[in-house]
Amino acid sequence: MILAQLMVNGIALGAAYALVALGFVLVLNATGAVNFAQGDLVMAGGFLAVALAGFIPDAPGFVLLPLVMALMALLGIAVSATAYLPLRNRPPVGVFISTIAVGIILQNGATVLFGPEPKAAAPLFGGGAFTIAGLQVPTQSIAVIATAALLIAGQYWLFTHTQLGRRLRATAQDPGMARACGIPVTSMIALTFALGAALAGAAGLLLSNQFFVTPSAGSGLILKAYIAVTIGGWGSLPGAVIGALLIAAFEVVVSYTLSYTAATAALYLALLAILAVRPQGLFGEASRRRA
Amino acid sequence: MPPRMPPWKKTLLTAALAAAVAHAAPASAEVDIPVLVPVTGFLALEGTSQRNGAVLAIRHAADRLRVRSEVIDTGTSPEGAVTALERASGRGKPLAVAASMLGTQMLAMLPLAEEYGIPLVTVSGTASITERGNPWVFRFFPGDEVTKTAHARYVVEELGRRRPAVIYQTTAYGQSGQAHLRDAFAKLGVDPVFEEGVDPGIRDMLPVLTKAMAASPDVLVLHLHSGPTALFVRQAAASAAGIPIVAGSAMHQPSTAALLEPAELKGVCAETSASPVSGGSPEIEKFTADYRSSFNTDPDAFALGQYDGIAMVLDAAAKGAATPEDIRDVLSQTTYKGLAMTYRSDGKGNMARSATIVCYDGASRIPAVAKRYEAVAGQ
Repeated sequence: MILAQLMVNGIALGAAYALVALGFVLVLNATGAVNFAQGDLVMAGGFLAVALAGFIPDAPGFVLLPLVMALMALLGIAVSATAYLPLRNRPPVGVFISTIAVGIILQNGATVLFGPEPKAAAPLFGGGAFTIAGLQVPTQSIAVIATAALLIAGQYWLFTHTQLGRRLRATAQDPGMARACGIPVTSMIALTFALGAALAGAAGLLLSNQFFVTPSAGSGLILKAYIAVTIGGWGSLPGAVIGALLIAAFEVVVSYTLSYTAATAALYLALLAILAVRPQGLFGEASRRRA
Repeated sequence: MPPRMPPWKKTLLTAALAAAVAHAAPASAEVDIPVLVPVTGFLALEGTSQRNGAVLAIRHAADRLRVRSEVIDTGTSPEGAVTALERASGRGKPLAVAASMLGTQMLAMLPLAEEYGIPLVTVSGTASITERGNPWVFRFFPGDEVTKTAHARYVVEELGRRRPAVIYQTTAYGQSGQAHLRDAFAKLGVDPVFEEGVDPGIRDMLPVLTKAMAASPDVLVLHLHSGPTALFVRQAAASAAGIPIVAGSAMHQPSTAALLEPAELKGVCAETSASPVSGGSPEIEKFTADYRSSFNTDPDAFALGQYDGIAMVLDAAAKGAATPEDIRDVLSQTTYKGLAMTYRSDGKGNMARSATIVCYDGASRIPAVAKRYEAVAGQ
């Protein structure tokens, strides 16, 4: 029974991590650069949810979610305009540094605006738990899983069933050819940053109710996103989701059988083993180099 | 090692120093007390409390003192702290410095403080900062050897529990606390039934709680940072653990309690040096009211400790201590009755040796003082 309980917790946590990793991969694919501010964008989304709750008292999280995602999308466009586009023709290290700088600005901005105290955002549908076959399932966990699944499915639909998605994919696969075909590559890149930031905002809202948010919370999340993407395959969207779920499984389920420290060590050993057997990651493409 | 001074000689010297200082009091002296604390980074919460405490003490300085003070953010790196100290000392000789509570930063600043001759007044809990024979460091917050002794004694002597499960952070802070808890429990003849370290990045506390409960403990003893403490307490309440929780000092911080519903706090206690929001005296209530009106937030023990430390420096300055050497001598040789406790150096710069246990009643987020331990290190 406890194992089932832990599985539910692990899937809920992994679902939120998956949104972080997906946003990371989207930008990675579109630009070929690692967005080191992705974790801090998640933190910003969490604080935005807290701030919006102040303007709309008693509003549940599902009401705030679209607002948070929309505002975060605008922030994503601002990040692309300031930290990526001016440096796009320079060596990739320039973008690494500029996104690190964006992350630091977001951290310090959050400290100034909200203070250093941990904060909790509103739950998606209310607190409490319900019982299924003797299993205590927190409402928030189920809501997180459902919301993340919807967002991931929505993103899949966008990329596979819409003209916009095809343009985004074309830009990610070969920006030069996409531009030659008349696709506005710069706008597509800005839109990708917007999507990535919107997903980060959603993850921030989902995580900050159960696990709180602090200005420095982003640095741990970017590491998790990086590992998830490395495990799943550099640039692979399904791989990012699987990688994120795997990290959560180690964090919640494996740590129950071992210790937290041993589970962390086991996660890194698993990462090394995967890279030894499949250097391209679980879902990566062996012949392509994306970054 | 220099020969120890006989007690009668020390008393005579202290009296002479106090008398000299009192007679030398100028009409209006300007003193420089920079505040070098981490207000950004992972220790921003505690560093901000430190800054607020120091700033409030400076605002409360005696009218005849003109205090010049600049707050410099040290971040969380040792070099950030050293740079801040260099910058502060570059524009003159500070009378004293309110110095970072981050142990690694303090360790980096100590040699420089000795070279420049500047007293560092801190609330850092890192034991080693006062174990290096540096006469320029003064800690106005009880170290782990004090707080963890009180922590363990409350569990065993007051609650009568002998099967503690100890959950601690894997950071230097957590490991130091765990080591001192283990020693304190051993002195009380108690062996924890469960011990596990938790990384600060871990979000789900159900695994460690489940394992701890499987060991059949009769009390949960925590030594975690603020966020993880709230996560653990919330998980324990959701799981109806049914045994008391005696947490570390992070639990007493109003910002930690604010993350939890009052009902989730029922049966939860915490060790701390003081709990300003719990009141206790008109002076503490005035401090809390002033703090709230100045910073729009509740004070914690770190703020009060730093307030007392800077207040002691300013008190000495108001009585005529005009140089850093004077301040060092006053801090190391005299007794000061602060708001949180009475401070006196143990010869190494450890000024605080009292600890308090506070408990929540499940109806509010303001804890009540359950037990006070005085002069713990001397016992």
